[in-house]
Amino acid sequence: MEHLLETIGRNMFAIFGVMTLCGAAFMVASRSAVHSVLGFLFAMLCIAGCFLSLEAEFLGMAQILVYAGGIVVLFLFVVMLVEMSKKREKEVFQLQSRYAVVAVLVGAAVFVGVFRKVIFGAASPEALVLRPELAQGLNVANQNAQAVSRSLFADFLLPFEILSVILLVALVGAVVLAKTERV
Amino acid sequence: MNKLLRTLIPFDIAKGLSITGKHFCKVFFTANRRKVPFHIVSEYPEVVAKIQPRFRGRLTLLKDEQGEIKCVCCLACEKICPTQVITIEKGKKEGRKMPFPVRYDFEMERCIFCEFCVESCGFDSIILNHQFELAAYNREDFSLGMEGAMQNMYDPSPVGKFSVADD
Amino acid sequence: MPTPTLTQFIVITLVQCLLVVIFVFVVVPLTVFAERKVLGYLQQRLGSTRVASGHVGVTGWMNRGMWKWGRIPVLSYWRGIPGLVADILKLILKEDVIPAKADKFVFFIAPALSMVSAVVVFAAVSFVPGVFFTFPAWFPLVGGLPVSGGIADINVGLLWILGVASVGVYGIVLAGWASNSKYPLLGGLRSAAQMVSYEVPLAISLLAPVVLTASLNFGEMSTRMAVGLPFWGLVPQILGFLIYLTCGFAETNRLPFDMPEAENELVAGFHTEYSGMKFGFFYLAEYINMTVVAALAAGFFLGGPWLLPFGLQGLLIPASVPFIGQPHAIFFAVKIIFMLFTYIWVRGTIPRYRYDQVMSVAWKYLIPMALANLLLAALVRCFAV
Repeated sequence: MEHLLETIGRNMFAIFGVMTLCGAAFMVASRSAVHSVLGFLFAMLCIAGCFLSLEAEFLGMAQILVYAGGIVVLFLFVVMLVEMSKKREKEVFQLQSRYAVVAVLVGAAVFVGVFRKVIFGAASPEALVLRPELAQGLNVANQNAQAVSRSLFADFLLPFEILSVILLVALVGAVVLAKTERV
Repeated sequence: MNKLLRTLIPFDIAKGLSITGKHFCKVFFTANRRKVPFHIVSEYPEVVAKIQPRFRGRLTLLKDEQGEIKCVCCLACEKICPTQVITIEKGKKEGRKMPFPVRYDFEMERCIFCEFCVESCGFDSIILNHQFELAAYNREDFSLGMEGAMQNMYDPSPVGKFSVADD
Repeated sequence: MPTPTLTQFIVITLVQCLLVVIFVFVVVPLTVFAERKVLGYLQQRLGSTRVASGHVGVTGWMNRGMWKWGRIPVLSYWRGIPGLVADILKLILKEDVIPAKADKFVFFIAPALSMVSAVVVFAAVSFVPGVFFTFPAWFPLVGGLPVSGGIADINVGLLWILGVASVGVYGIVLAGWASNSKYPLLGGLRSAAQMVSYEVPLAISLLAPVVLTASLNFGEMSTRMAVGLPFWGLVPQILGFLIYLTCGFAETNRLPFDMPEAENELVAGFHTEYSGMKFGFFYLAEYINMTVVAALAAGFFLGGPWLLPFGLQGLLIPASVPFIGQPHAIFFAVKIIFMLFTYIWVRGTIPRYRYDQVMSVAWKYLIPMALANLLLAALVRCFAV
């Protein structure tokens, strides 16, 4: 019993990973757009589970809060309003499947190329810390919200702010594009 | 500025909450039957329902002090009745100058309780009483007349037959 | 104190889950009953006092019995409780109708989503800091081990609560879509827009406690909010409490913000096509969500397991005072119940907003106010701590 539970606990990441893949596969394979969104939601929640099994609680919760709670809702909001008849829907999907295969292959190649070292190389003995003096006085295992915030607001403050300005520009741009001519 | 402040500080909501809160407290502390209740509902089958004085219930023939029927068969009620539920047959009786109704039929199933008959009566001989538990299972139970124990029109308004008042 | 093995740890967690589920499933039906009674009292009525309208047979016997209860001071408030039992039985036994053109899978999964996301939030809620109780030594497998006051003492508890609560939107939106009917779809769309926009001021109003306490852990936050704040911490707390309460009402789709199920506009909104226990799940989820919001309000603003609200505990009552100086789970439960009462109180007082008013309240008033409150909290943190 004890042994079994410990094995499950050690392999939590693999379990969640497989569940993520299942959700993603369901998303790609399903015919109905809303079912796809549900599969996407499941995959997002399982990715949060992956983060949790790696003891990165802050990232896991941010994953749930931002993706599951915010972005997928907006997807759903749009998808619900797009009403396609079954036949047309089918045609669109069949039209896309050829390109989809190519896209998946290219994506897989890029992924393997970028993360070659991480996947096939030896595991790094210590976590990647950019400026070790920032982590002083922090128990990173227990306070990873504080750790993330320190690296975000001390190490990467400028990129962070630039990113948020870019997002704001995109937001304003969307409003300008969507606005009709009436003043 | 004043308007903005009023929007931001929810005085009106606080006022409403205080009013309903007061009502809650009053009802909560008097809901026990031993005290004087503050609530406005009547617990009808257990407590006799309180009827307003102008309530229009079942049609009733009245009698005077000697036990004589007051109706003199002027047929005013029969004529004015919009649904024609009243049927009167004129007759004579020993020792009575005025005409006497041999039959006075009242078909309650069609009655709309408009009280025109009572208003038109010049002799105050009919009223609509305060009886409101008028439901019955048979159509015949709605045809009232001068005969029959359950179906005569003299009885005053009885206490509600569904009331189970125990105190 | 012995360290528990993994099996023992899991058993203890299951026991905690069981306790929380018992708490929820005791509080929720009682809230449903209290809603009938309190709403009645607020409007000078008596609420539910009888079952059916019978004066003969079983219902008549019950009605006469309940009428006799009315004389006994405390029992007089419990007339009508058989009606609640009958309601629950009805929900369980009723036929489960699925519309012919509905999307079966989504129709099935929507109530489950809203129910699960409502219950799971309790994982991060800590009812009392430290040890809740210790198992007696004779207890098999887990004898002598302590049970802490919350299920998962994670350091990002607040984010967990917000995240999982936001997943609850799916239940409503998908229910509206899957019913393949116009009114539910409208209700689902309204709720999607409403809940997504009210999440923003809700999260910002909860950021003020985060700033004040420098933590995201529920237990730590409630402790520091109750006993570790300076006097000026009162201002952002009270302001934040009001903003949080408003957003909480909107998030749980309660009056005055019950846009998704506005009865006189949308029949019943997103659950028009639902019947039987699927509808029951939505019903339960709404009340569990109310309990969750009440628990958060109690934990962050009303002092949690301590006696006094708004951080007054740390200012007025030192920890050395025997009973009321210490945290107790009973205070927490009482505060949750008071908050549930407030829900019903507001429902009985304020009429429903129009849809555009709901949106403008969120974006034009609550978000700026929540941001100002956050700024205040930051000032207090900078200069007064």
